[in-house]
Amino acid sequence: MSETLLVDKIARRPAWWAGLGSYIRHRPFFILALLVTLAFLAIALLGTAVTPFDPTFQDMEAPMSPPSSTHWLGTDSYGQDLLSRAMAGARYAFLTGICSVLLGALGGLAVGLMAGLAGGRTEWFLMRIVDAILALPSLVMAIAFIAILGQGVDKVILAVGLALIGPFARTVRADVLQVRALPFVEAAGLMGIGKLAIVRRHILPNVFFPLVVQATIRISEAILVSSSLSFIGIGIVPPTPDWGLMIAEGRGFVSFAPWMSGVPGAALAILLIALAIVGDGIREQMDPKQRAGH
Amino acid sequence: MGEIDHRNVLAKMLDRRFARRGLLRGAGLGAAALAVPAFGPQPVRAAEPGHINLAFIEYIDTLDPHFTGFLGAIMVHNNIFNGLLKITYDGQKVSFVPDLAESWDMPDDKTHIFKIRPNVHFHDGTACDAEAIKWSLERVASGKPTSPHAWKLSKLQKIEIIDPLTVKLSFATPYAFLPVALTGSTGRAGTIVSRAAVEKYGKDFGRNPVGTGPFRFVSWRENDSIELERNPDYFEEGLPKLDRVTIKIMNEASSAVAALMAGQVDGMNESPLQFVKALRANPNLTVYGEPEGNYSFVAMNVRRAPFDDVELRRAVAFAIDREAIIKQAFFGIGEIAYSPISPPMTGFFNKDIAKTGRGQFFDPERAKKHRAAAKNQDVIEPVFIMSEQGPYGTRVAQTVLPMLEKIGIKPKLELMERAAWVARRNAGDFDMFDLNWVGDLDPDETLYPEFHSGEDWNYPGWSNATFDKSVEEAQVVLDVETRRKLYETAEDALMDEAPIAIISHMPAFKIISKRVQGFQYIPADLFNLHTVSVA
Amino acid sequence: MLLFVGRKLAQTIFILLMVSIVSFTLLKLAPGDPVQMALGSEYSQEAYASLTHEMGLDQSLVVQYGHWLWGFITGDWGRSYVGRTPIFQYAFVEALPVTLTLAASALFLAILIGVPLGVLSAARQDTILDAGTAALSLTGTAFPSFYLGILLIWIFGVHFGLFPTMGFVAPWQDFLDGVYHMTLPALTLSTYFMAMIVRLVRANLIEALQQPYVAAARARGESERRVIWLHGMRNVLMPLVTVLGLQLGALLQGAVLTETVFSLPGVGQMITNAVLNREYLVVQAGVMMTGCLFIFVNLLVDLAYPWLDPRLKPR
Repeated sequence: MSETLLVDKIARRPAWWAGLGSYIRHRPFFILALLVTLAFLAIALLGTAVTPFDPTFQDMEAPMSPPSSTHWLGTDSYGQDLLSRAMAGARYAFLTGICSVLLGALGGLAVGLMAGLAGGRTEWFLMRIVDAILALPSLVMAIAFIAILGQGVDKVILAVGLALIGPFARTVRADVLQVRALPFVEAAGLMGIGKLAIVRRHILPNVFFPLVVQATIRISEAILVSSSLSFIGIGIVPPTPDWGLMIAEGRGFVSFAPWMSGVPGAALAILLIALAIVGDGIREQMDPKQRAGH
Repeated sequence: MGEIDHRNVLAKMLDRRFARRGLLRGAGLGAAALAVPAFGPQPVRAAEPGHINLAFIEYIDTLDPHFTGFLGAIMVHNNIFNGLLKITYDGQKVSFVPDLAESWDMPDDKTHIFKIRPNVHFHDGTACDAEAIKWSLERVASGKPTSPHAWKLSKLQKIEIIDPLTVKLSFATPYAFLPVALTGSTGRAGTIVSRAAVEKYGKDFGRNPVGTGPFRFVSWRENDSIELERNPDYFEEGLPKLDRVTIKIMNEASSAVAALMAGQVDGMNESPLQFVKALRANPNLTVYGEPEGNYSFVAMNVRRAPFDDVELRRAVAFAIDREAIIKQAFFGIGEIAYSPISPPMTGFFNKDIAKTGRGQFFDPERAKKHRAAAKNQDVIEPVFIMSEQGPYGTRVAQTVLPMLEKIGIKPKLELMERAAWVARRNAGDFDMFDLNWVGDLDPDETLYPEFHSGEDWNYPGWSNATFDKSVEEAQVVLDVETRRKLYETAEDALMDEAPIAIISHMPAFKIISKRVQGFQYIPADLFNLHTVSVA
Repeated sequence: MLLFVGRKLAQTIFILLMVSIVSFTLLKLAPGDPVQMALGSEYSQEAYASLTHEMGLDQSLVVQYGHWLWGFITGDWGRSYVGRTPIFQYAFVEALPVTLTLAASALFLAILIGVPLGVLSAARQDTILDAGTAALSLTGTAFPSFYLGILLIWIFGVHFGLFPTMGFVAPWQDFLDGVYHMTLPALTLSTYFMAMIVRLVRANLIEALQQPYVAAARARGESERRVIWLHGMRNVLMPLVTVLGLQLGALLQGAVLTETVFSLPGVGQMITNAVLNREYLVVQAGVMMTGCLFIFVNLLVDLAYPWLDPRLKPR
């Protein structure tokens, strides 16, 4: 093929194993984002062991206090320390965000691959189910699910994850169709290479990386849906230090205590930005289409 | 017994009940108040045509007064309909005065005779006469489908038409609660609706309300607004002053507050508590809000473990730091409640109750003592159901949590939407929940349907013979002092056995722009617009 | 062609039936009912039984569903249980145009700002500009639309008094006022899609720019602008259109919150309130409408595929 013609600057970039020094020099944002993500992960794993206060301790003397030397990022309307809550919330963010996206992505990958590869009646039926899931507003589903199953972090993850299967399945199927039409895949098929082998060698890698981009964006969606549920008044039970819940609770205080939803919002923003940059970086380094040049 | 006698007894009772600061106690609900339509202390102004925009954040279900239980709906339809009686407030006391009635007599203690204003017509042109009033009251008492307010007229034996403008109501027993049943903001039993319209619209009357009130219904656009227009034939001379009323239905309270502060609306019918300070400080706004007949509380399920144990309930009742809750959960708004009878119920409410040792209050030592006497000495994890509803949402539950942890009770908070919450509560599927009973005008309303054995609103499932006997007796006694003693006995039984832990009495707020003139504040959660004008 | 139309129609009916059955069943399984909601706390068994009968809620589920379905097909969408709102008027005539206006304005804003930002980001990959764009667009998504909306209301509505913060004015009746009222809601709702578009355009463009034909174009000496917009964007369009079509659900989701915050009487508020109040018939109407909308948009996306990517044509 014509890879040798690639002469643009991306192709000339050093490979990621070419030395950490040059790597940091060329990808400072990637490294920074990676460090931030790891820091969040560490906080999430350590949990209340590293928070300055118990995240549900109510300081009766200092409700709604602005950032101060005692409460570095201020307190909420119950006098709960926002820094502690934001730190403890990292765990729930990873839980709701990553678990539900994982659930949705795996489900979507399975359904999308099956539909895209099988074709015919199976594809028709699978895609109609996906359509029905997509056509039903996920908030309706989420509210109904939670009303039936009960509330709590696990139920929210389930409700959000199920709602995400649809979109993932659609994109995966679209990618499969596109990849299947690529000359080398068609050629492989003609050469009599087994179907499973084609999937593993050609289709999966080509479908997987667009999925990663999707996933990094979807993590924010998952957290936002859970926050929307809190806005409506269901979902994660207070006083759980969940960012979505904290943002929803703080919305009534925006005019005079903006830090209440500002702190969890900022935490969420930082994590999402870091995740997105990391996601992009990984994709660019490992995507076979781009790696082909080296 | 003579005519004067009965009316005076009732008048005295009513007056004492609602004389809030006791200044006008001697005046009574005399002939003047009964015979003259009251305009209130409002300075008379030239009619100023105008259009008012209001933001309502409370849920409006239907505009059929006989079928709504929501204060948000009552605030709207009280401008479309009139009752036989109405509530007025002169800044000192709340009183009942005739509205559609011209006079109100009591020949004996079971009979009420109302003379109706002549020449009053519904918005559809039909006459509002004795016939119409009889029909309306019967619709509440025995109509199909059953009105949720039917119980308020259950003791009504018959309604007779004496002449085209006079009706006579006969009751089985003396009924001290009648004026409240006819007017109370949650008791829309006395509201008069157009028979022709009900027959014309059938089930859809709630969407096409026709009354005699100062404003006619124009339209109701779901999640958007309700429009009212001036009723040119309104019976009070020179009223209403507004041409048009637009009630914006807003589901997000903080947006409504913002709209009010930005001057996009002229008033609001309630406010989330955290904004009250800022709203009071705003030079363009007037905030009305005095404690009303209400109380907030945490209920415990008496029918099942762990709260079938009275000692445990007492422990909870004494473990709750009311001052802290008011400060923390209600942003300092409200006053500590020791018993359900509220400050506006003068004659029954004892403002020095704190010193008497009666009722419930925060006493950690007693809480620990009762906790030690409880059967279950392990850490108890009762299910506390909560819902993001009303101005308090989950705030009570969240603040109570650490207080109960101190006595070895760790409630398991369960959050749900209102529909699920109502279903769970009504089915008795809970250990604890919190709620406020609002808009009460009389102790009967405050105690009987909520705590009498087997009553429909008795969600904790509590039952007590002393209590039942006292509140039953108090319903048929007119003498205030005797009634007060009966209610005291009832309350003592209730607070001692603690199916609820009472927390506070709360103001209900009305916020109005300074552009608006002539608003008459009534501390019964009403938003009457007939005297209002906009500069 | 006739076969195609027939197949699509069968598909649509199948999906809608599934959607309606699922939503009806789910909601009926959830605890609570409209009568309980209407009676609130003033609850009496007698009134409850009486009103339940009056509303036909004491019939079996199959009968209720069948009744609704027949009504829906014959054009009688019924009335809400408690408020007695005529549902067709409420859902189709009043609410739908509001949501469509909001969604279209938000999408317009998102594309208008998102595409150039994405292109810029891809062209200046790994520079401050790139990271800045990422940060900016992602910050937008990190704040849920209700929070962002309330923030905008306080800043631009109250503090500066620049924009109206509530209500809907139909742009086809008063265009300028309509746009004026729609500015803050559309901006609020667009942030999420803007970020999505930026990310997608960036990722796909970077990928496209490494394709051999792009290199060939560069080698031919075509201008960088031409390379990006003509050759690069060709490869971006398809995933972009796919994702936007799929995002209709998310758009509606966002619309729910945006409509609530800005008091817009649209489909989002309608469905949410109906679900919360167990107004089954209103929910069904809403779900059918959004279902149709979704199917229609995705049909357009499907039809656009071969046009956007000629390689897909022969199958």
